[in-house]
Amino acid sequence: MPSTDVFTTITLQHYLVLSAALFMIGLTGVLLRRNVIVIMMCIELMLNAVNLSFIAFSKFSGRIDGQIMVFFVLTIAAAEAAVGLALIVCIFKRFREVNIRFFEHLKG
Amino acid sequence: MTADAFIFWFLSLITLGSALSVMLLANPVYSALSLVMTMVGISALFVTLGAYFIAGVQLIVYAGAVMVLFVMVLMLFDLRAELQAFSRGQISGALKLATVGALAGLIGGALLLSAGNVAEPSMAEAAKLPPDASKALGIVLFTRHIFGFEALGVLLLVIAIGTVALARAKGGTHAKH
Repeated sequence: MPSTDVFTTITLQHYLVLSAALFMIGLTGVLLRRNVIVIMMCIELMLNAVNLSFIAFSKFSGRIDGQIMVFFVLTIAAAEAAVGLALIVCIFKRFREVNIRFFEHLKG
Repeated sequence: MTADAFIFWFLSLITLGSALSVMLLANPVYSALSLVMTMVGISALFVTLGAYFIAGVQLIVYAGAVMVLFVMVLMLFDLRAELQAFSRGQISGALKLATVGALAGLIGGALLLSAGNVAEPSMAEAAKLPPDASKALGIVLFTRHIFGFEALGVLLLVIAIGTVALARAKGGTHAKH
């Protein structure tokens, strides 16, 4: 009978694999979606995946510095969302469209 | 199956499912709601890892502030007709998926190779992280990382001024006509 340790004991690798899967989903969304707002959401998803692996490393190595890094990343992500959404509103006012197909040529 | 293993699998199922629906749903409002669910799932995962303060901040900042910002911007736009939610080109789409697959393979290979090398936490190391890490987090943040903390404050001030400048500029959101 094969061992079921993989399912019953949660190790660092479990969290790392979950974080990698979340990052991949976010990356696929950034590459495939055409709506600027959804692209921003997928970027937030990728930042969160990285946060998850920081916290997992912090827990499993017994050092607090990973949580400090997550604190910084959270703040930067909030600032980035604010500026990005303001830029998106500017772009929408100019082009009347949020699909990136319509503003691939940004000339002043 | 122990309780924490069950909680981990349950939370990872919820997080991955809602992350997939962020990417796959064509309506941006549904994407935003799925993103809220993902944030809540990740915050619960932080709780299982013992990072209570970060979990609370995650809930307040992401599921609260950032998502309100996203939904407000979505409400400003009239997005009833979402045409062509996904990239259309067959070859470029296949290339993008191949890129994602290659990166996934790299990360998976790195995880497999490092599986034996990542040391399991010994009891001494695990004891260094107190059960409630919030106090230790505050102490380290305000002693060793105080410069980063202050720089973050300056950055937030610059961001606030920059956003207002962006709104008032010519062609901005609140430009005078």
